[in-house]
Amino acid sequence: MICAGIDAGSRTIKVVLLDKDTLAVVGTGVADQGVRQSERAMRLLDEVLVAAGLRRSDLGRIVATGYGRDSIEAAHTTITEITCHACGVRRIMPQARTVVDIGGQDSKLLRLDAQGRVHDFVMNDRCAAGTGRFLEVVAARLEIHLNDLGPLAQQSRAPAAISSMCVLFAETEIIGLLAAGIGAADIAAGVQSAIAARVAAMAGNRLAEPVAFTGGVALVPGMRAALEAALGRPVSVVDAPRLTGALGAALIGADSARSNH
Amino acid sequence: MTEPPRQITLAEWDSRFEAGTAAGWTQPDYGGPLGRHIEDGDLRLSRLLYDNSPAALNLWNFLLTEEVRLQAARAKGDKIVGAMKDLGTVPVMAYSLPGVTAFYPDGAWWTPCLMEFSSGVLHGADSLGIDESFCPVRAMLGAFAAEKHFPAPDLLICSVGATCDDFSAIAQRVNGLGHPILWWEIPHRRTPAADETSLRLPGGFTCPLDQVVFVQSELERIRSSLEAVTGHRLTEYALRRGIQAANRVRRALRRLRTMTFTARRCPLPALELLIAEMLAIHFCSDRPAALEVLTGLCDVVQQRLAEGQGYFSEDAVKVFWVNPVADLRVMNTLEQCGGRLCGTDYMFCHALDDIPENIPPMEALARTALADPMAGSAIDRAGRICRDITRYGSEAVVISRIPGASHCAIEGTVIAGVIGERLGLPVVELEVPPVCDAFMPTLNTRLGALIETAKGRRTS
Repeated sequence: MICAGIDAGSRTIKVVLLDKDTLAVVGTGVADQGVRQSERAMRLLDEVLVAAGLRRSDLGRIVATGYGRDSIEAAHTTITEITCHACGVRRIMPQARTVVDIGGQDSKLLRLDAQGRVHDFVMNDRCAAGTGRFLEVVAARLEIHLNDLGPLAQQSRAPAAISSMCVLFAETEIIGLLAAGIGAADIAAGVQSAIAARVAAMAGNRLAEPVAFTGGVALVPGMRAALEAALGRPVSVVDAPRLTGALGAALIGADSARSNH
Repeated sequence: MTEPPRQITLAEWDSRFEAGTAAGWTQPDYGGPLGRHIEDGDLRLSRLLYDNSPAALNLWNFLLTEEVRLQAARAKGDKIVGAMKDLGTVPVMAYSLPGVTAFYPDGAWWTPCLMEFSSGVLHGADSLGIDESFCPVRAMLGAFAAEKHFPAPDLLICSVGATCDDFSAIAQRVNGLGHPILWWEIPHRRTPAADETSLRLPGGFTCPLDQVVFVQSELERIRSSLEAVTGHRLTEYALRRGIQAANRVRRALRRLRTMTFTARRCPLPALELLIAEMLAIHFCSDRPAALEVLTGLCDVVQQRLAEGQGYFSEDAVKVFWVNPVADLRVMNTLEQCGGRLCGTDYMFCHALDDIPENIPPMEALARTALADPMAGSAIDRAGRICRDITRYGSEAVVISRIPGASHCAIEGTVIAGVIGERLGLPVVELEVPPVCDAFMPTLNTRLGALIETAKGRRTS
């Protein structure tokens, strides 16, 4: 039997297919999020199934997570992304005791116990300043593609000081920095530092090592280093960080299917 | 066997009311179908889920008819006393005098919670320069400016000092609108020094004798003003009687809380309990009726416990809630996510404790005023919260912030830290604005994750 995890995030939908018995990942996929969330998710699920040589009838459990989880009509159950990210990290990096997840719309910090279960968590709720949305706003302002922001930041020699409290204020600051002749690379690096600073402020004294980094922003070159600098300790980007939540959802589905069996 | 407890919609309540009335339900003078309040603009009611007991209907009707009571009191010739930023002391004094109705102008912050933006009180505050960067209590300013929602008080009393900055700024604007305020000072409660006489306060805090003496002198000024406005002497005997009457309300509420928080299955939903607790502050302008409403709820809860009835599963996660929410739907959301309320600190715990009856009444009131959890340090408040969490066996904690409220800005972080250190429980902080439609998915995620985390820990 195959279990599916669907992470309906604010920017993208992610799907992971898992063999219930072997827990082997048999298919993955990522697609942009849209207005018709359920429709998009099911289309992606079908694409991933076809690519894996499977059909809907092969699916046992579907577990949805993420911001849009309640809109996934085909899901047998929904679980929050907090629990799913912890579950995904427990599989990929069982020694992790802290998870930093920076997604498109929010950021979260999870502390895990020795069994890899969530001990407690904090979420950014003030502004998009600690999220991937900040990077999108800045890329647009610098007139570059989002994927080029990370490489650009790595060219920086003196990252600009940018507010971590509010994306709108930060955007105004960036206009001022550009007017003052500050280079785009230093601005891009400054933004990465601002996001990392926001996460560090959220972490307070909650950090325990090792620290795992998940979410789409973990793929941005330079973000891991920025986070390490802000947290003052090593940070590991997990394998396929965008898929961690969907993987966790699929694992929970498999666990549930085995229990029911 | 009574009807099993069930959360119902407003429409279901109205059908139920019709059927109940036909079957001979008797109603208090403020009773009636809940849906009629929608016509008064209480739009938010249509989006809540309610307990289905007649006692709960009385609670809601009582809450939503305060304006009528205040107008009736004015028409009867009662003196109207507005007690601002006072969470349970001055009203006890006011109600000790004949012909006085006290109320809580700050309660206007609930108006947008119930009426959304239809009342216009927030826009009224905006137009006076008090925008949404301030606490939602700014609704009070809009209400005073519009001369709606309550009659102009004969005496307006407000505490300052160890109160939040937003509130003081807003109250000063009210004063500036031509509503003169009698200000009295509540000092920041501090730990007595080694060479000072230490006094124990209701609820367990301590403070130096000097602070009690000072607050008592401030309350004496209020006593003089109340006497001047009413033309009656506020005697020690009257105060003692007033304190005893206030304590009856407090005891009923404590009984309701204890029965609900310690029950194996939840006998009363979080929303009704939140509203019930609010009665302790100012009795919704009618102390005997407030006691009747609370007694009715206690009877329902007792009956449900005796019959083994309750809400949700026994598996529901026991959640302690800190600070009241501005959007009432969030209390329903907690339960939909798999939690139940087991302990609260809505910032006025001192209004739930008995006012001492074995010491001179003015000193007793001074001690009670100083027991306000908001008048001391956040660490002290957190200590009391930890004690109550332990008492009720709560498994997780929600700290809700009110946007713009200066007392909430960093206090939540301090309280969360203390709970984490002392009890190791999962804590989530939420920000709940008065109308939070757009925030509901993220609030749902936070509450859901808290419940999942607490459940996951059960197997640790």
